[in-house]
Order: sequence, then structure tokens, then C-alpha cells
Amino acid sequence: MLWLLLFLGVAAIVLARRTAALETARRLNVLREERTGLEAERAALQRDLRLTLGRQELGRKAENRLGLHQPADSEFTVFRLPAPDHR
Amino acid sequence: MAKVTTRIASLEVVFVLAVLAVLGRAAQLQIVQRSKWESEAEEQRKLRVVLPARRGGIYDRGGVALAITQEYFHVGIAPNEVEGRAATITAIARSLELPASRVRRDFAKNPKWIYYHGPFTGAQVQALRKMPGIHLTPEFARHYPAGSLARSVIGGLNSDSGNGASGIELALDSILTGVPGEEVVLRDRAGRSYESPSRLVSDPVPGEDVYLTLDAELQEIAEHGLDDAIERLKAAGGDVVFMDPSTGELLAIASSHRVDHDLIGNRPSFFTDPFEPGSTAKLFTAAALLSLHRVDSTDEVYGEEGTWSMPGRTKPITDAHTTHGNLTLAKAIEVSSNIAMAKFSQRLSATEQYDALRDFGFGSPTGVEFPSEARGRLPTPDQWKPGFNGPSVAMGYSFGVTPVQLAAAYGALANDGVLLTPTLIREVRSPEGEVRYRHKPEPVRRAVRRDVVQTLREYLAGAVGEGGTGERAQLVNYTLMGKTGTAQRFEGGHYVHGSYTASFAALFPADDPQLVVIVKIDDPKGDYYGGATAAPVTRSMLQEALATRRSAIDRRRLATSEAPATSDTASRVEPEAATSVVLPWPLSGDSTKARDRLPVPNVLGANLRKAAVALHRRGFQMALRGSGQVVRTSPAAGDSLTAGGTVTVWAQ
Repeated sequence: MLWLLLFLGVAAIVLARRTAALETARRLNVLREERTGLEAERAALQRDLRLTLGRQELGRKAENRLGLHQPADSEFTVFRLPAPDHR
Repeated sequence: MAKVTTRIASLEVVFVLAVLAVLGRAAQLQIVQRSKWESEAEEQRKLRVVLPARRGGIYDRGGVALAITQEYFHVGIAPNEVEGRAATITAIARSLELPASRVRRDFAKNPKWIYYHGPFTGAQVQALRKMPGIHLTPEFARHYPAGSLARSVIGGLNSDSGNGASGIELALDSILTGVPGEEVVLRDRAGRSYESPSRLVSDPVPGEDVYLTLDAELQEIAEHGLDDAIERLKAAGGDVVFMDPSTGELLAIASSHRVDHDLIGNRPSFFTDPFEPGSTAKLFTAAALLSLHRVDSTDEVYGEEGTWSMPGRTKPITDAHTTHGNLTLAKAIEVSSNIAMAKFSQRLSATEQYDALRDFGFGSPTGVEFPSEARGRLPTPDQWKPGFNGPSVAMGYSFGVTPVQLAAAYGALANDGVLLTPTLIREVRSPEGEVRYRHKPEPVRRAVRRDVVQTLREYLAGAVGEGGTGERAQLVNYTLMGKTGTAQRFEGGHYVHGSYTASFAALFPADDPQLVVIVKIDDPKGDYYGGATAAPVTRSMLQEALATRRSAIDRRRLATSEAPATSDTASRVEPEAATSVVLPWPLSGDSTKARDRLPVPNVLGANLRKAAVALHRRGFQMALRGSGQVVRTSPAAGDSLTAGGTVTVWAQ
């Protein structure tokens, strides 16, 4: 009788561990699927950002809508950093 | 009775034999053939599945994704398993962006299986995952988020094997490819699979990520600048190379070629197509002449008024820019005189000329990480025709270089004479982000002595200075140095009349070069000279690069290398303090009327370049009368003028 109870106890533990592992695997799969979906979404957004912020697109819009133009080198200034002894 | 006993004994024997046979067979199956049957049972019960490894990504130096691997899905539908047909059809059509009518039509045919190949992204199929009757088949596929940007460098994959087929994808295939994993799936009698977390044999190991030296923004400038130039000049194609001379890192490389009126950028001709460099190569013969002390600064040769019938050559040598009188080596480079270079080259033996070119890396592959790099074309001295090849090589003919070889050679001039191996690979990182490799400059050899480099750089500065062939490349606030080239094109075994390769090689900025720029235009129409075609293209690309928010140009170094005034005029032309100019917003066409009046700087005695820099820096335009040193300005120095107004400068 004791042996039977021991067997049933061990079997129940094994079953519970198996059930928990399968449930974890299922949750892992769901998360993996979600990650795949999010990665795809990120890639699509990155591509859209790249196209939207690309020089061709942005430059054209800046010229047409805002009347801006590509500056010549005489139209901007690179500030000189103060010499180390003046900092 | 005896008969009965015999029969019973016989039966017993038979029975014992039968039992022994059964036991023997059992022993054979379970002991002798145990492993065989065990593995067969395993085979039936378990299925080993290969788990594909994600291929590593390719990024630019700033982390912009150029090539990444994503999981895509093919969608299979079992209509008899579907619950709620109308809702499923709507969900499929919406998720997969298919016309609902098409999906409805596919269902109406009552097939056992409907298949949409796609491939569809994980985001697209997310809503379908839980729906009964819909089966997804995952697959890794390569995705290029930056579109066509740098595609000829990145290359592509073999559609069958998924391995690299060209470009960086091929060159670094072993690094980018991961190690596939393996898992065991349990199967039941009906062949249905059951995943089990305890059956994973090995996880797949993703490939490593490669960070290129390319700068996406500069690459975009190079590609569009080149395409615009080819269109405008009605050219057949061209190449552009931007390189950091201190590290050998290639920052942007573009090529474009006209195929049936369309511009195609999929041929990496900057690595693969040698061309005769023309006058951009005159500097290397000059390097040999100076290194071997065959010429000093006062040596002169007669310019022959622009046409010279050299003994031993059937065709006369001509100069596009006719100069009168004698030319020093410096002047020969400045005005790009073929005649003077041909004459000077006679002071060198074939071996000496050949060795100089070899020292600069011509005639051998640069070693850049690209699978199909050409070695160029440089015949050995024993193949040279006496009196012919020497002058030809001095003029930039009779040998072929790739644009990247030319960039590396000019890089040596910026790098105090040390030739570096150009590179495309900046870093390799593990999937966890750990740096596995970081590029360090790889010196090949000292191509030329330091003191000779200094002289060559002065020659280059002269070539883009006033009266130089590359004058049109010059910027206003920053100086560059460079050399133009125009070479007749050699195709099909002969030189094509009226067809030229125009090129320009530049170091920017002049006093502390951060960039080597090579621009090459194939067969431009109209004014085909390098100074009129490739030089202005270089100028506009540099202007764009300077105006970018995140540029490969180090602005801290640039701030100290603006075009300086000459020492004697520096105190006069430099403003004492910054001048604020307030403009109304939005800008209108006549907004300059609202600008302040500013004092005209004193540029008397300065040469025209310094005067132009000083006036432009104050925001004035300049009208020029004469050449030489400034003797008078109108308005005079100290008078005030509206910002944007024109100062007339007299020089002599």
C-alpha cells in the first residue's frame, strides 16, 4: 500500500512538472510569435522612417513647402572651440 | 502405454523447443539486435527538426540597418477546419492585404487546402495565429530596409542555398551565417507532431552582425550626386569614392551605369573596372622624379606651345590648356601639361616609373574585403615599348586603375606617404553586442618620403588654385586640393574618338585631410574635361556633406582648418568679433534689404583666393578685375556695405 502511494505521489509530481513545462513552452511560443510580429513591425517602421527622413524626400519637401535650399559652404559656420587654456 | 508415454515426451520436446525458439527469438530481438530495433522505434516515434539560425545583420557605421534577416510566413488554410467562414475570410483578406473577393472565390471552390505563398511578415499574420484552420509556415528571409542604398556593396544571397552570392554577403558569409540548432519532435501513430521543451538538442546560434565603414548619409549623397551628374552630363556612367585617409575606411562608394536609358547601380565598378586615370596619375610620376632627385623646383622644360611631335610616337602629344614658354614640374601639374610630363618622364627608367606606381599600390588588389576586386592593369617594364610607355604612363595612359586603388594612392598623400589598405568592415559584433573585431589601420608600405609628400601636396593645391585645372572644385570657406583627369576611353582594343573619362581626385580639407574623394564620369557629353565635370560634382557633394547633421566629417578638426588668410593679411581680414545678422522669418526674396550694413574687410595685398574667402566670410559677393594681388577695392576697406552686396576687386 505504501509503495502504491509512493508511486502515485511520484507520478503526480512528474505529471505536474510535465504540465507546467508544456504550459511554459506554450507561453514561450506565444511570446516568440509576438516578438516576431514586433520585429517585423519595427523593420517596417525603420524602412518608412528611412524613406521619410531620406535626403531625397526631406530635401524635396523642404524646398517645395518651406522654400529652403541646400546651403553652400559659405552659408554656415563651424564654431571654433576655445583653446584649452581659455576654457 | 509406451506409445502414449512416447507421444507425451515428444509433445514435451516440441513444447520445450517452441518455448526455446520463442525465448531465442526474444533474446535475438532484445539482446543481439537491441540497438537496431531501438533506433527504429525512435525513428518512428521522434522526428529530428533542424532549427534555422538567423543570419547576422549588416549595418552602416552609425547602426543604420542595411540588411537584416526576418521571419516571414507562408499561409495555408484547411477550409474544413475553419470555424466561422465569413469572419475568417474577412480576417484573412484584411491581414494579408488581399482582395476579399479573391479570398471568397478561393473558398467557394471548396478545395481541401488553400495556400497563400506571400511571404507575409509576422505583423501581418499576428491576427491569424489563433484562428482554427489556418496553418503558418515560418521561413527566414533577407530584408534590405534601406532599399537600394549601397546594394552593389552589400550584394545578395543565393536564392536556393540562402548563402551569400555576391558583395559583403559573400565575402563575410562564414561570419554572417549562424549555426543551425536541432530539436526532437514527438510523433503519434497518425504522424501528428508534439513539441516538447525537454527534447531541444541544441539552440540555433545566430550569425554575427557586421558594421560597415560606410556612412549611410554620405552614401546617399554620393549615389544621388552621381546619378544627377550622369543625367546632367548625359554620361554613360561613373563612380564615386569617399575614403578616410587616416584609417583607410571607405565612407561611401557609389557606381551607376546607363543601361537602355536607365541608370543601374548594381555593378560595383569602383572595385572591378579599371580605367586609364589620365592626369590624376601625373602626381605619381612626379613623386618618382622628386624621390629620385631627377627634378628640382627650378628645372623647366619647354611647353612646345601645346603640341609636340615626340620622336618615336606616331601621334603628337597635345595639351588642352596651352601654356607659353617653359614649365616647372609644379606648373606642369597645375596646368596638367602632357608635354611637360612626357619630357620629365624621360629622366626616369621604365623600372623606376613602374616601381613608383607599384609603391602606390597600382597593379595589385588593394586587399579590401570584396570578393571580385580587380588588380588593375600595370604592365611590367619588360613589356614597355622604349620611348612610348614611359611618357604614356606619365600622362596617365597605358595602365589601368580602379577608383578604389586611386583613392588609396591619394590617401597615402594625405597620410604622410603611408599607403593603407582600404577597408569596408568597421566592426563585427556578436548577437549579444560584444565587439569581436574592430578595424585598425593596416599600413601596406611607405609609398613616398614625407618631404616629397609635402611638395606633392603643394602641387595639388596649385592644381585647384587660381588658373589650375581643378579651380571649379574649390569651396568658399574651406580649401581642398586635388587633380583633374581627362583620358580618352579605350574600348574594344582602340581609343574611341570623342569619348573620354573625366575624373577628379581630391583631399579635403587641404591642410588636414579628412576625406579622399574620387569622382569619375564615363563619357560625358559637351565640355568633357575633368575640371568642368568631375570637379564641380566633387564640390557640390562636399557642400552637401558639410551641411549634414551627422556627417562623417569631424567638425572639431574642421573648425581649425578653415581657409586661413595669409600671415601678412590675417590681422586685417579676420573679423575682430562675430557679427550677428538678424533676418525676418519667413524669408522673402528681398530679405537682404533688412540686413545690417557691414564694414568691408581690408584685403589689399592678399592674393585673390584669400580675398575671396575674407569677403565671402563677411557675406559679400566679389566682382573681379584682373589677376594677381589685390590693389584696390570698391567700396574701400572700412566702408560699409549691405550684407550680400558686391565688392569689386582690382588685382594685378
